[in-house]
Amino acid sequence: MHATDLQSNFPVVARDTSAVAAARLIAEERLAGLVVANAKGNPVAVVSAVDILGLLVPNYMLDDLNLAGVVDEQGAEDMWSQAGDHTIGELLDDDAVRLYDLLMVDADATILELAAQMAGAHAQVALIRGSDPAQFVRLPDVLDAILKYCA
Amino acid sequence: MSIQIILALAVFVGAYILIATEKVPRTTVALVGAALMVVIGATDEHGPFFSEDSGIDWNVIFLLLGMMIIVGILQQSGIFEFIAIWAAKLAKGRPFVIMVMLVIITAVLSAFLDNVTTVLLIAPVTLLICDRLGVNPIPFLIAEVMASNIGGTATLIGDPPNIIIASRAGLTFNDFLIHTAPISAILLVVFIGLCWLMFRKQLSYNADRVARVMALNEREAIRDVRLLVTSLIVLGLVLAGFVLHSVINLEPSIVAMLGAGLLVLLTRLETKKIFADVEWETLLFFAGLFIMVGGLVSLGIIDTIGQAAIAAVGDNYFGAAAGLLFGSAVISGIIDNIPFVATMAPLTYDLVQAGGPAAEPLWWALTLGADLGGNATAIGASANVVVLGIAARNGHPISFWMFTKYGLIVTAVTVTLCLPYLWLRYFA
Repeated sequence: MHATDLQSNFPVVARDTSAVAAARLIAEERLAGLVVANAKGNPVAVVSAVDILGLLVPNYMLDDLNLAGVVDEQGAEDMWSQAGDHTIGELLDDDAVRLYDLLMVDADATILELAAQMAGAHAQVALIRGSDPAQFVRLPDVLDAILKYCA
Repeated sequence: MSIQIILALAVFVGAYILIATEKVPRTTVALVGAALMVVIGATDEHGPFFSEDSGIDWNVIFLLLGMMIIVGILQQSGIFEFIAIWAAKLAKGRPFVIMVMLVIITAVLSAFLDNVTTVLLIAPVTLLICDRLGVNPIPFLIAEVMASNIGGTATLIGDPPNIIIASRAGLTFNDFLIHTAPISAILLVVFIGLCWLMFRKQLSYNADRVARVMALNEREAIRDVRLLVTSLIVLGLVLAGFVLHSVINLEPSIVAMLGAGLLVLLTRLETKKIFADVEWETLLFFAGLFIMVGGLVSLGIIDTIGQAAIAAVGDNYFGAAAGLLFGSAVISGIIDNIPFVATMAPLTYDLVQAGGPAAEPLWWALTLGADLGGNATAIGASANVVVLGIAARNGHPISFWMFTKYGLIVTAVTVTLCLPYLWLRYFA
């Protein structure tokens, strides 16, 4: 079994994608992160779902976690309604946010190669090199493939 | 002039330029400068660590370290957020009253905590209150950081330059309470008036949103009552230790470290949380600065300049105080006041030694000028830079000139008011 046997689409977002749109993708597909494309539309990096969650929360509350408790449900709903102002670009520009380089694997990579490279790079997803349109291998699919051989 | 002196001056001036321009991290500059001072023989291997005159001032380092640990633990209790929200609700959501409350809270906190810590605590809760009220938070943030610089003048531990000055001059916590706290309180009242003049037109709000402020539940900010009580008791003991210096005969640095140790023992927090707010880089910056300035002291450069200053001043100590006050304010508005005071402290020491009690007000002129000058520009004090960063991250950018146009007014007024204070108190 090779990488191409596990390939699938994966949501790719751009710099101007809103935080809400990104969050919706994550919630709908139960993802741990999203692939980010550069200005030319090429997938280049991965942002974690937790960092996108951070975009939805007012920055001052991340600076001072004690504040989250003082706002009631009504107040929190007001804040969520304003969360759409933020974009993925803010994450890309924030030095405090860790962007993961997008792991690239060969189309004929074996499951063992995929497992080793993804584990080594702490990658949830890998781009199949040369695929057009871009095709990805997701971590759950790799685990599924491995588990077929496990006792 | 020997080659050694020329090299030492070159290292010192070069380091100052790099610190002022922020091209290289200031801690790196100070440590490299310190290393070069040792390499060129401006100080020997004994001097940096063991000389009281030209080495690292361990009292300053450990006082800062102890207070950073205490404050770091105390701030986890949520008490500061509680007070700020309680004050906003007491003000019934009226923006200027909230501003006055927050300014007073910031100034008082800043007298006992360092300014950067104070604004890091007060800025997020300010943004929350302004967000709920639907008012522009920029005037609030600018007012608070300026209040922190004014409040910091009040005590020995309020601003790092005060700690350097106190250690070099042998001044106590009570000396600061007697000499700088009164003018700090006067300046705070004047500053509140300036806030009205400068910001009142920017404080329009929708009265319907007051309910959103009143709905904030400040009690939820207190997440650990035991931690809060323990921290406040230990902080109280530490402050009592500072005040009772002449009775218990312990240096402030020892009192702070004992307090930090006691708090660590009582709270049993994990190590990561205890030291999370210790600014190791700042402590190393101080260490490097002390060695650099110590090099100039060892080579007799400071003494030579001091003698020239003594000759120039003669017995006109009011003139010297005025020069020191305004000169320090101008320079502190442009560069970090910590290296400035680290350099000026030994010089002022020479002047005070030569002039005796008549020259002692020079310490207060240096303190007031260096602390208040930090308000002049957006880069005049570390707290200003921190607040600008917080504001930008939260979508409310404050430009250099926006801050500076207010800063120049506040600095001009507050520093000028210090002159009659010095005159009436010490020279009239």
